[in-house]
Parts: sequence; structure tokens; C-alpha cells
Amino acid sequence: MSTPNWKTAIGRRARVAAVWLVLILAWEGAYRAIGWKPWVFPAPSHVIDATLSMLNIHTYLGEPLGPGWPLANPMPVDNPRAPGTPVFGSPLVSALTYSGLRMAIGFTAALAFGVAAGLLLWRITFIDSLLGPLFLGLQTLPSVCWVPLAILTFGINERGILFVLFMGSAFSMAIAMRDGLRALPPIYRAAGIMLGARGLRLYFRVLLPASLPAFAGTLRQGFSFAWRSLLGAELILLTQRRGIGFLLNVGRDFADVAQVVAVMIVMIAVGMAVDRWCFAIIERRVRTRFGLAQPR
Amino acid sequence: MNPEPAPSHTRPLPAAAPASGPLPARGRLDLTDIQFRPGPGPDAPLILDGITLRCEPGEFVVVVGPSGCGKTSLLHIAAGMLRPTAGSALLDSAPILGPGPDRAMVFQEHGLFPWLTAAENVEFGLRMMGLPAAERRHRVESALRMVSLSTAGHKLVHELSGGMRQRIAIARAMVVEPAVLLMDEPFASLDAQTRTLLHEHLQRLWWQTRHTVLFVTHSVGEAVRLADRVIVMSAHPGRIRREIPVQVPHPRPMDSPELADLGRIVRTEIQEEVARVNAELENGHR
Repeated sequence: MSTPNWKTAIGRRARVAAVWLVLILAWEGAYRAIGWKPWVFPAPSHVIDATLSMLNIHTYLGEPLGPGWPLANPMPVDNPRAPGTPVFGSPLVSALTYSGLRMAIGFTAALAFGVAAGLLLWRITFIDSLLGPLFLGLQTLPSVCWVPLAILTFGINERGILFVLFMGSAFSMAIAMRDGLRALPPIYRAAGIMLGARGLRLYFRVLLPASLPAFAGTLRQGFSFAWRSLLGAELILLTQRRGIGFLLNVGRDFADVAQVVAVMIVMIAVGMAVDRWCFAIIERRVRTRFGLAQPR
Repeated sequence: MNPEPAPSHTRPLPAAAPASGPLPARGRLDLTDIQFRPGPGPDAPLILDGITLRCEPGEFVVVVGPSGCGKTSLLHIAAGMLRPTAGSALLDSAPILGPGPDRAMVFQEHGLFPWLTAAENVEFGLRMMGLPAAERRHRVESALRMVSLSTAGHKLVHELSGGMRQRIAIARAMVVEPAVLLMDEPFASLDAQTRTLLHEHLQRLWWQTRHTVLFVTHSVGEAVRLADRVIVMSAHPGRIRREIPVQVPHPRPMDSPELADLGRIVRTEIQEEVARVNAELENGHR
């Protein structure tokens, strides 16, 4: 008798969660037992406390255990992390909203450019020999290296941030799209032409649908490039004092290590969540339809 | 007499030939003095040399030959996917300028579109012709019935077996009512049982529809089972070595002794050809 798949999956996840919980509790325990300095490296309770206070939920989890913990309030009321507003007006939600808007605009533009440029590089050999190596080179450039140029050209403003986001992700998407199209089996093109698909219809009915798995991969990779570029740009270009990267900078300015770590965790969590619950699902659906992956 | 009707694919074909479909008025394929080099200049190897082959409307012609004899290039020239270096390729007296649905092709690796269902694959060529939806549906249904896959229309390509995929590929090619059906080793990647079933299936289909068929294969058994005429090619450069008419009436029992005798003749031709090429290669190396 073998256990059903979902049972083993849940068992495995529970074991993973349990080990993480033990590690985190050990870290917290060590902090409290040895008496590490919270301004050098925070304990999990400080990070949770910082995260919640960015949402304008104030706790005192990081304070020493004692009578009244975690409800006692030994901290000054003018907590610099949070001007007193409700959750939806809190610094974290507002920062995520701004970063999300910037992603929506910049990533859409970069994706449109990447797909169009990828198609051109693939179809027109001269353009590929002209721009292919350049795009590959630009892809190796870390996105923050675009920041000085963005500041000098556009100034410290939204356009500067969007410029960095675009430059940091568009070229890698163009290259990924081109490579995906190159890997298309030539038989689809031959079969399409044989059945009378010509010109634009060959593209829209055969070549673009055939490149869907490549496109899904491009989308996923492009998002992670774009997200990283955005955070780097926001960290340096402190436009309108908004955005998740700005919040990281606030943590540094106030020497608030707990907030720095909390913001980093939020950055990772948002990136992972969008990848896993949006782009990975799209990719899996496409690959399943094409018979490239087993349905789950 | 068999008291119980066996499933259709195992039932022996009746001795008296059922009426075939009427011979079509179109579908004459004329390849005259075809020469083909894959590259420019006289240094490129000569793949095909002086091939003259005429397929009459409704005729089933099978080309066999050793690997590298250029039989696939010949088929691609008929399809318009390759242009001959010299010579003329005509379909019903009109020059073949490029690939098109009047010369539908069935590929060895089916070439079905994995983003479409089986029925949508069959429908694709009709869509490209701009037919109205009602007629498309009607023709797709009858094409699926022809290949006995009426119930598999909603399936995705990867959900079909290898034999089913090739049957869908055949339906996809036939549904556009081509003048000539070009088949490039369509059954080469199937197992032996499936291949035999598909031979019978294709023969029945061809007998009903009477397309002109130009069929390329490695398999001698396949060639003599299906062909009205077997063309044996020689290699380096590809020339027509011998034409062998197969005068066994259709529809044929697949295990007839006449076919076995013809198969031996064809096989001997190919073996001699392979021996000749090997001897030439050996002399060339010395």
C-alpha cells in the first residue's frame, strides 16, 4: 500500500515547516539567553514587530519577557516607523501600491519591447548580427548601473525609475524570446505553410502560438529581472519618498536593523508570491497543454 | 465464411473489389529532368540527377531507396519546399512555386499543432481557406469519421497515441481536398502492428477518395503493399534505378504471395544498390 500523493506532500511540507520553526525559535532563544544587541542583528520577534508596525499594528514582541509582555509599552510613542494611520494607509501598503504601479507600467513596456525585439532578432538575421551581441552585453550589466545615467538624463523622478526598470529587464526578455523562437521545431512552420497559412496569419496562427512555452518562460524570467531592477532603482532614486525600496532606505536612515530585515523579507516574499502564484501557474498550464509537463 | 463480423481493422478485405471512387480529373504530377544541389556552385553535392517522374491522377506511387538517395528531397521539391536546381516540376501543367494546400503533406513526425485539439488541427487548413463555420464543422466531422477518430476530436495532441496522431495528420491533409497527397515516411516511427493497421486504413481511404499519392519510405513491405508503382532510387547522385509496377488489384490482402515476390525483387534491387555504393566509397578511399 502506498500513501496517496497529497498525503506525502503534506507530510513533507509539515516537516519542512517544523524544521524552519525550530531554527527560528532557536535564534530567538539564543538572542534572549545570550543577550545579543538588537541593533546589530535583530531577533525574529523584532522583525515581526517591525513588519507589523509598518502596517501600523504596534506590538512589543521584541521587548524582554516580563510582566505585561507583549502588551507593555516601554517605547516612545512617536515611533518613527509609523505615523498613526490605519492598515490601508500604512507605510508598507502604500509602498507596495507604488512599487506595484511602477511594475505594472515598466514591466508591461519592457515585455512589449522584449517580445517585439525578440521577433525581429529571430526573423531578420542582419538585425540579429547588429543588435544580438549588444543585447547580450547589456543583459550582463547589473541594473543599478543604469542609475547614474537615469539620474543625469531624466533626473530623480518616476521616469528615471521606470528607465532603470525597463533597461534592466527588456534586453533579457528580448534574448529569451529570440532563443525560444529559435528552438521552435521547423515542422510547425512547414505544416502551417503547407496548410495555406501565409504572411501575418502564419505568425498569429502558427508561430506565435507555437512559441507560447518560450513566451511563458520569458515572462517569468523577465518579471524577476524587472522586480530586482525596480527595487535597486527605488533604493537609490528616492522619488516621492514612496516604494518598497524607499522603505528599505528609511530603515537604514533610522539605523533600524529590524525594519531593514523586515523590508528585505517582504521583497523576497512578494517576488516569490507573484512568481509562484502567477507566472509559474501560467507556465505550467502552457506546458501541460503542449504535453511538455505532466498535469499536477 | 466468417460467421461473426470481426472488428473492421482485422476483417479480411473482400475478394471482389468494391467500387472505387471515381478517378479524379486533377492531380497529375509531372517532374521532368529534375536536378538538385542543396547549395550554390558546382561544388555542392549533386543530390538528384535527371529524375523524371510522372504520377497520373489517382495513382499511388511509392519511392524507395537507400538512405541518402534523395527521396525526401524529391518529395520536398514536389511540395514546393525546395526548388530544383534544374528541371521542371508541374502540377496539372502549372509550375510548382511554393508549398500550398493543393499538395498536402503528411510528415514523419506528424507536425500536428500541440496548442490545438485534434479537431482544431483538422480544421486548420479549412480556416485558412476562409470557409464558413458550418461547412468547416461538417467537413471536419466527416474527415474524423474517415480516419475512425470521431470521438477523439476534443483531445489534445499529446493525449493521442502515435497511430492516432498520424491518422489525424492524414485527416488534416485530406480535409483540404488536395490534388496530390505527399507522404514522407509517415509510419516510420510507429510500431509494427500499428503500421499494419494504418496500411489497411490508408489503402481503404485512398480507394474511396482516389487522391494522387506520392509516398516515400524505407520499408519495402510498405512500398509493395500500397503502391501502384514502386520507384527504386539509386544514391550519390539520386537517380531512378528501376520502376516496378504492382499489378495486384486493390484492395489488397496484406499477406498476398504476389506482394511477397515483388518485395523480394525490390529488396534485391536495393541491396545491389547499397553494395554498389559501398564498393564505390571503398574505392574512393584508396
